[in-house]
Amino acid sequence: MALLTDGSAESPEVDFRRLMRKRFISLSLLVVVLAVSAFVSIMIGTLGPIGPGKPEYISFGDAFGAIFQGHGHWPDYYDDVFWDVRIPRVVLGALVGAALACAGTAMQAVFRNPMADPYIVGVSSGASLGAVIAGLTGLAGIAFLGWLILPAFAFVTALLTVFAVYFLGAVGGKVNVNTLLLSGIAVAAFIGAVVSTMIYFSGQDYHRIIFWMLGSLSMVSWTAVIVVFFAVLVGAIVVYVFSRDLNALLLGEEVAHNLGVDPESLKTTMLIVAAVMTSAAVAFTGVIGFVGLIIPHMVRLVVGADHRTLVPAATLSGAIFLIWTDALSRTVIAPSELPVGIITALCGGPFFLYLLRRYGMAGESS
Amino acid sequence: MSLKVRGLKFSFGEKEVLKDVSFEVGDGEFIGLMGPNGSGKTTLLRCIMKYIQAPENAIMVDGSSVESLSQAELARTFAVVPQSSSTDFTFSAYDIVMMGRIPHRRSRMAGPTSEDAEVVKGAMQRTNTWRFASRSFSSLSGGERQRVVVARAVAQRPKTFLLDEPTVYLDINGQLEVMEMVKSLNKEEGITVIAVLHDMNLAARYCDRIALLDNGRLEAIGPPADVLTADTLRDVYDVDVIVRKDPYSGSIYVVPHSTASISRKHGTRVHVICGGGTGGPVMKALLDKGFLVSAGVLNVLDSDFENARDLHVPVAAETPFAPVGAASYEENLGMMAESLAVVLSPFPVGPGNIKNLEAASDALKKGKRIFVMRPPSGQVIDFVGGAADSLINELIASGAVPVDGIDQLISKLGYGGHAA
Repeated sequence: MALLTDGSAESPEVDFRRLMRKRFISLSLLVVVLAVSAFVSIMIGTLGPIGPGKPEYISFGDAFGAIFQGHGHWPDYYDDVFWDVRIPRVVLGALVGAALACAGTAMQAVFRNPMADPYIVGVSSGASLGAVIAGLTGLAGIAFLGWLILPAFAFVTALLTVFAVYFLGAVGGKVNVNTLLLSGIAVAAFIGAVVSTMIYFSGQDYHRIIFWMLGSLSMVSWTAVIVVFFAVLVGAIVVYVFSRDLNALLLGEEVAHNLGVDPESLKTTMLIVAAVMTSAAVAFTGVIGFVGLIIPHMVRLVVGADHRTLVPAATLSGAIFLIWTDALSRTVIAPSELPVGIITALCGGPFFLYLLRRYGMAGESS
Repeated sequence: MSLKVRGLKFSFGEKEVLKDVSFEVGDGEFIGLMGPNGSGKTTLLRCIMKYIQAPENAIMVDGSSVESLSQAELARTFAVVPQSSSTDFTFSAYDIVMMGRIPHRRSRMAGPTSEDAEVVKGAMQRTNTWRFASRSFSSLSGGERQRVVVARAVAQRPKTFLLDEPTVYLDINGQLEVMEMVKSLNKEEGITVIAVLHDMNLAARYCDRIALLDNGRLEAIGPPADVLTADTLRDVYDVDVIVRKDPYSGSIYVVPHSTASISRKHGTRVHVICGGGTGGPVMKALLDKGFLVSAGVLNVLDSDFENARDLHVPVAAETPFAPVGAASYEENLGMMAESLAVVLSPFPVGPGNIKNLEAASDALKKGKRIFVMRPPSGQVIDFVGGAADSLINELIASGAVPVDGIDQLISKLGYGGHAA
């Protein structure tokens, strides 16, 4: 057959072993960057070697000592700042960034839509509703338990909203992603209106609620870290396990089916996992926007759409991104702080546009 | 691989899409699924792939029903090539082909192995796609993309290809490329092929058998020459076609008649004396203008005899290569007598058919209107040493009307576009 010549002559060979090596190197590199970012950002802040150094300057030596030997040459309350505020905050930032980026990647695959993000099925509006209820009823003000009530409410209402969207959007047991998308928009608009009404009548609590809704890592605790850690651990592993299935799904549900993938159970699994991860993150930090939308895109521009690489790379990049934006948020107007959600949108938007222009629209649909 | 479909029925709500379809596909066959839009071809493929649920035991693959097979098992038996594939996301051609290995993974956790990589490389070399393996799938041309999808199907290591109109969006070169590739995989690797095709000539050329679906029913199944007949195609597609044999490939080909609106039949009969293919356009034009047409005397196997048969024109016929005999001569005269006019196409005249000219002059004497179409070269093709030429000149001298071309003929006949 003249048509079926051996194409070996002019091929810029795809070498499988080299591909795997490249993948391993880029993922390892991201792990290293993440570790360095976490370490450096622990130093950054009002009280830190990097930062304004007020009221008292702390040396790097002290900080290293605090981290590695449990005690630095400083007043005891600095230990508390390091161990109970700064370190959990950086860890939480990494976890929340990872959760949002991973869930965003999964949602963009499920909806086969580059505009999809973790909040597409109503998590953000649902969580806001819970937070506003907790805040306005005064439940959040109860001693000891109060600080846990707001996240608990936000988590539960977020999940309830996702279930509502899912059942409104699934027809005859089948999830039609377009119907789901529209039901997500409708439910989010409705709950958004309810939340706005409540805020309108809230009086003095208004500022606190808005601050939460803008997204901030300031309400940090080790409990939050532990809860989000397990959500992200389980969620990211599940998404990664299904990464080849997600690849197939991006070519359409019938193609995925014909390759032996069950698109219905895949979609449902991804929706549940993404909802749990996102709800857990949002419950403790409020609605941090943009991370879940742009990180998957940025990473896809660099590593391509294969989810075997994309899922871990996006998860790690989300963690790195949020660590740095949070570092910025607590220093840019120090000693006060800007909600990190503002920073993510401020940095993320232009950077994303830059990437889009630079790499062209060829590979990335808009 | 053997596929048995028995009494397959399927409905979308009230609408019955497949009605009692039964057929079998043997190992290594190349079967074409044809039929008008909405006849149930794609639904049939989806039933085989369990994308929609067929009744129990209606579809058996190698002795077990499709319900009993897991989706991965099905994907190792059948590889589907859809009409076209596209994605908004940046996969390389290599990524796309690697997806064909999903049904072969040992567990969900397992990534692609080096064995998978070997299979993918082999599949891409086999389909001549290896040289753009690293390019982005969406940057490829339609034909290249379709070959990549065929490569993915090959990487699935299936026993059967299910092709759903794999060439509709391709240019003629791309069509042949994809079909040749599939055919060679069918021949050399023994992969059974079940292909939904719209192009009858492509189907006739590549398929061992063709199954023709109409409105959910299996109308015919068999070798292309048996299924793609003018009668069957008129029943199923509601079009008139001419079916011929391609002298080079030996496969049949199908040409639709012009679909220009046919004038109302007014029943005026015209007899055409022709031969050697010169009568075909004349008969067609007359039929389109609503005339009844007869022809003669023609030897069986003469190309005008075939033209007349395709156009359902009654013919005074003579056995192949024999000169016009007494019986056919009389039959010819009878047909002329029933006609309003007689047309002589510029046919080549030899000793065998010179009697047709004598018949024309006989009719002229009896008062028939005779039209003589002048050959485009101005010169009658004469194998009888000038006798034909002088006979024709004689005809014209005694009142036959010479015409140049079909349009002039029609207008002189007087039943043109404004037929009664």
